[in-house]
Amino acid sequence: MTELKHYFAPTSLDQAVECLKDGDVTILAGGTDLTPQSQAGRIRIKRTLMNIRHIPQLSGITLEGREIRIGTLATITEIMEHPLVRQHLPVLVEACNHFASDQIRNAATLGGNICNASPAGDTLIPLLLLDARVELASMPEAKLYRHSMPLATFFVGPGKTRRSLCELLTCVRIPLPGEGHVAHFHKLGTRPALDISTISIGIGGTLREGVLTNVRVAFGAVAPTPVRAARAEQALEGQKLDAAIIDRVAAIARDEVEPIDDVRATAWYRKEMIHNITRRMLTHVAQA
Amino acid sequence: MSVSEKKTRIIEPDSLIGKRIPKMDAPEKASGRTRYIHDINLSGQLYGKILRSGRIHALIKSIDTSAARALPGVHVVITAADIPDQRPIGVARDHFPLKVGRVRSQRDEIAAVAAESEEIAEAALKLIKVVYEDLPVISDPEDAIKPGAALIHPEPHGADGTHLHLKQGTSIAHRGKADNIAMRFDYAHGDVVKGEAESDVVIEDTFRLHYVTHCCMGVSGMIAEFDASGNLLMYSNTQVPFLHKREFAEYLNMDPARIRIIQPPIGGGFGSKLDIYPFEIICLFLARAAKRPVKMLFTREEEFLASPTRQPVLLTLRSGCKKDGTLTFRQVHTLHDNGAYTSWGATTPFVMMQTFSSLYRVPHCDYHTAAVYTNNPYAGSFRGYGNLQATFAIEQHMDMMAEAIGMDSLEFRLKNAQDSGETTGQGMVFKSCGFKDCINTAAQRSDYSRKFKENEANRGKPGNIKHGIGMASMLHVGGGAKIYPSDGCGTILKMDDFANVTLITGASEIGQGSETVLSQLVCEELGLPISAITVVNNDTAITPWDVGVHASRTTFIAGNSAIGAAKKAKAKILAVAAKKYDAAEADLDLRGGFVIKAASGEVVVELSKLLRNLHFQDKAELVMTTFYYEPPSVHQGKDFKGDVSAAYAWASQVVEVEVDTDTGMVRMTKITGAHDVGRVLNRLGIEGQIEGGMVMGQGYALTEDLMIVDGVMRNPNFRDYKLVTAPEIPEMDIAFIESMDGEGPQGAKGVGEAPSICIAAAAANAIRNATGVRMFELPFTPEKVYRALHGQTPKRYWKPWKAE
Amino acid sequence: MSLKHDIEFTLNGVKRQASVDVTMNTLAMLRDVIGLTGTKYGCGEGECGACTIQVDGVSLNSCLMFAVDCDGRELTTIEGLANDSKADALREAFVEHGAVQCGFCTPGMIMQADHLLHKHPHADAECVKRGIEGNLCRCTGYKKIVDAIVAAEDGQRTAP
Repeated sequence: MTELKHYFAPTSLDQAVECLKDGDVTILAGGTDLTPQSQAGRIRIKRTLMNIRHIPQLSGITLEGREIRIGTLATITEIMEHPLVRQHLPVLVEACNHFASDQIRNAATLGGNICNASPAGDTLIPLLLLDARVELASMPEAKLYRHSMPLATFFVGPGKTRRSLCELLTCVRIPLPGEGHVAHFHKLGTRPALDISTISIGIGGTLREGVLTNVRVAFGAVAPTPVRAARAEQALEGQKLDAAIIDRVAAIARDEVEPIDDVRATAWYRKEMIHNITRRMLTHVAQA
Repeated sequence: MSVSEKKTRIIEPDSLIGKRIPKMDAPEKASGRTRYIHDINLSGQLYGKILRSGRIHALIKSIDTSAARALPGVHVVITAADIPDQRPIGVARDHFPLKVGRVRSQRDEIAAVAAESEEIAEAALKLIKVVYEDLPVISDPEDAIKPGAALIHPEPHGADGTHLHLKQGTSIAHRGKADNIAMRFDYAHGDVVKGEAESDVVIEDTFRLHYVTHCCMGVSGMIAEFDASGNLLMYSNTQVPFLHKREFAEYLNMDPARIRIIQPPIGGGFGSKLDIYPFEIICLFLARAAKRPVKMLFTREEEFLASPTRQPVLLTLRSGCKKDGTLTFRQVHTLHDNGAYTSWGATTPFVMMQTFSSLYRVPHCDYHTAAVYTNNPYAGSFRGYGNLQATFAIEQHMDMMAEAIGMDSLEFRLKNAQDSGETTGQGMVFKSCGFKDCINTAAQRSDYSRKFKENEANRGKPGNIKHGIGMASMLHVGGGAKIYPSDGCGTILKMDDFANVTLITGASEIGQGSETVLSQLVCEELGLPISAITVVNNDTAITPWDVGVHASRTTFIAGNSAIGAAKKAKAKILAVAAKKYDAAEADLDLRGGFVIKAASGEVVVELSKLLRNLHFQDKAELVMTTFYYEPPSVHQGKDFKGDVSAAYAWASQVVEVEVDTDTGMVRMTKITGAHDVGRVLNRLGIEGQIEGGMVMGQGYALTEDLMIVDGVMRNPNFRDYKLVTAPEIPEMDIAFIESMDGEGPQGAKGVGEAPSICIAAAAANAIRNATGVRMFELPFTPEKVYRALHGQTPKRYWKPWKAE
Repeated sequence: MSLKHDIEFTLNGVKRQASVDVTMNTLAMLRDVIGLTGTKYGCGEGECGACTIQVDGVSLNSCLMFAVDCDGRELTTIEGLANDSKADALREAFVEHGAVQCGFCTPGMIMQADHLLHKHPHADAECVKRGIEGNLCRCTGYKKIVDAIVAAEDGQRTAP
């Protein structure tokens, strides 16, 4: 066990990935999770604490070709207020609106929410619906190297991702949704926000004449990671949304998830809610 | 002075009573300038920290503190072995602050450190090695009460199994207890067998009430310092400084006269600071050993783990009535989970039995409580003091009986509601009683009857959102509660040369606004603006005795005391003025800072001038008065009978809900409250008390749930212990019933606890109205309600346990 | 002992320097290093809002922010609102509307309300309720706090 020895606040991406090379670095972005977790002793800060706030390349929300790029340092508030996001990614705005509190939304970053890899992470479900990709930077040799992967394959377990210790998540890239794209998010909780979701559901796809294609269904807080529901997606794909199909998909969704009991709810209740909310959301989509 | 300027000046009558007077300390608080205990630091101060058990039930085999003592910056490390004169604390003296030989709950205190900084103190705690031998955990009171159950307080044994032979003492902490029954309460009036025989309808149900805790926004803390002569100065959050001064002296084996308690402003009380807790005694031990001031503050997690809770209760209620709607009897058995030690929570039956015996006219009543030891957190006093639990059961049964005999539930309530002039079976005398007004007002303002029928009719219609409306009412002490031989409060009042008043009161301020309402009462009496008064209320070396802030008593008791002192001052002033200006005392009055002619309002003299004249004369005098008010109430005997309070407060509340049958989510949309408060003194303050209480009741009903599993607290944080947040609050409509109590200050009665009492009961009735499903267990979390809606909650029956 | 780092920042309009433990949070720095105690510890986990301050014009929980992360930034605490006339209106509204009882949540509540009103000059009750959803109050039941914030905004709007 090494002790915290260095504090480093790089001003360029190169400096940051260079620093990450030794693999014994804790990355500080918004700090909303790292601060309390480290104070309580639940997270141990590694040899170097690296504050990435001052790296300009990690900020900003921009349109790059047919993709929206959201920098890892974009705060939840910046995302939900940004015109590009509001215009093209309303489902992400919806999820951000259910995220913690104003104070936390003002500080918490998208990169932090992704790298925390909480099964109940509020932004993760819409990002899964939107086929988001995460971009990672590292410096294996002397040169900056970037690669990306679908968010859907990024999560490994609670708090665990495919990001290696030498990599920095630099941004998220979201393809612009096409014509007829619909996406909805529902977070189940007794409060509008400031609540760890009991379950959350995202449903998206292309809706034409009552038929849903290119379907995405994602669930939060029912598995060790946020998950896509392959069987529910398959059952919905290309179907006209009538009462029978909605009931069938809701039942499939319920059987597909394997949640756990915890302080917030039992597995039984979570499965019931997956069923009832999926049904409600699909009915809503069908009626819209 | 010219002649024209000497024309007669008239002061028009004015009153402060019923006005919206802002809280006097609010400007300081709103600028962040108020210094709470957390913000006070003394030079030379050390920081105290406590090592807690973590085990639920275990023998302490050994404690090794050597490494902690060796850590640089550590001044003192103590365990029970270092404090040979340690005395047991708590309501039943069953609790050593530092545990001796055995731990009985997760929060139990093993050792403590005083060090140069909090970080060093925490590091030192990690160096203390404790070896335990786990014992079976008893977390269910139903198990604890079974014959042959393992004992929570057996005769004390040392690590090697031999008797510890603690210093001779007769308390439970010294000699142990042969069963797990911490306390029993048995009360009766009439003959329930006869009552049952006369009944047309008898119902019996078991209700289960859960753990909740105060969650004061300011965490617990204290600072202790012994001076060079051995006198103790404490900065403490206590709500009862005078009783605690005496108790602290007992625990420290010192003269109470040498203890001074200063109470900085506190970040919330709600009853949590009515008992002395181990951390306070431990802080004193540390300060005594270190010969330096020691400050101890909880973390939020510690605040959850080591604070008292509301009393969890299992309650079986049997009620009967005749077809014509007359109540015949009530029989109540409760099992109180006392936790590992006894604090005020065990004594909530004092209040609960009042509600069972006297909220409605019940000719026959039989009440039994057993508070049993378990390895769970121990319960203290909490706003409402058992009445939330009692009312939850009673007011559901009122609806259920009305339904059983086919009577309108409002009519049924009104038929059995108390009136003024009645004396109940328990001996409570209702001099002022606006209960029926409360019921009618709450019902009318909320349109209860129409909505009730409409919701019932809509129950079966399609749609997942169901609307419900429910009512509940309450009775609570409103003129103090004589639970000690004295329930009084002292006041010292002095006036200066500028007609400013200093009110020195025994009554403590815990955020409820006592300093403002007492000031109003004094200024009303002396005809002064509220700006003319300064209140001193936080130092036992200065303030006169008071029994403490509890039982909704401060406005009533301290108010009457303050008025008494003001009246004496006024009499003295008027006597002086009468003599000087050759008038009859009865013809003079005080108004607007002047002595005036009572009939016309004509100014006689400016009050400040009169006071200066009195002071700077040959026979110099000051206006200084004292008054001690003792309410005309009765200290109850062993049969729990007698008129325990000088007045009683009443309220009816109507709760409206939306139930989402897809999720079990209950949204509280509106609360209509009609409160008999005697008289409104400070409209702003009383609204604040009622709104705050209603929302606290909402939390009790819907979201707050301190989860204890096998003695382990699962959610000691605000993430999973869910207080109500701003977007969740319902619309609140409050009506005041002014019954003008004859004994109350300006007619007022206490109101502090009343508003949270009915909410859960009314919400249960509302859920029933919305869905047809009756909820017998709190809280109404989405999953609980969803399960109930889907028949997944087997109805619980607790067969009352009876001692042979 | 613990690793220290020197930082420079603006606090309530005044430039200043501090040497802080790298693991320390901003709340502890404000209270224990700088000695401004108006910012309160309520939970240390961002769940109660008692420690709300403003950094670079937005409200944050100071318990969720490393002190080293204050470097180069502009902080405002409740003490810094002392000479702000808009904040005067807010403070007065809190007093006049009975939004203060024990007062422990009040500084954080006012810091959040001040931010909210800068951002939403026409906030109605619903908007205010959402705006303070991260600030717990155990005394008031929130109604009078919401009234005060809405009224403060009305006052500001009609002010010359």
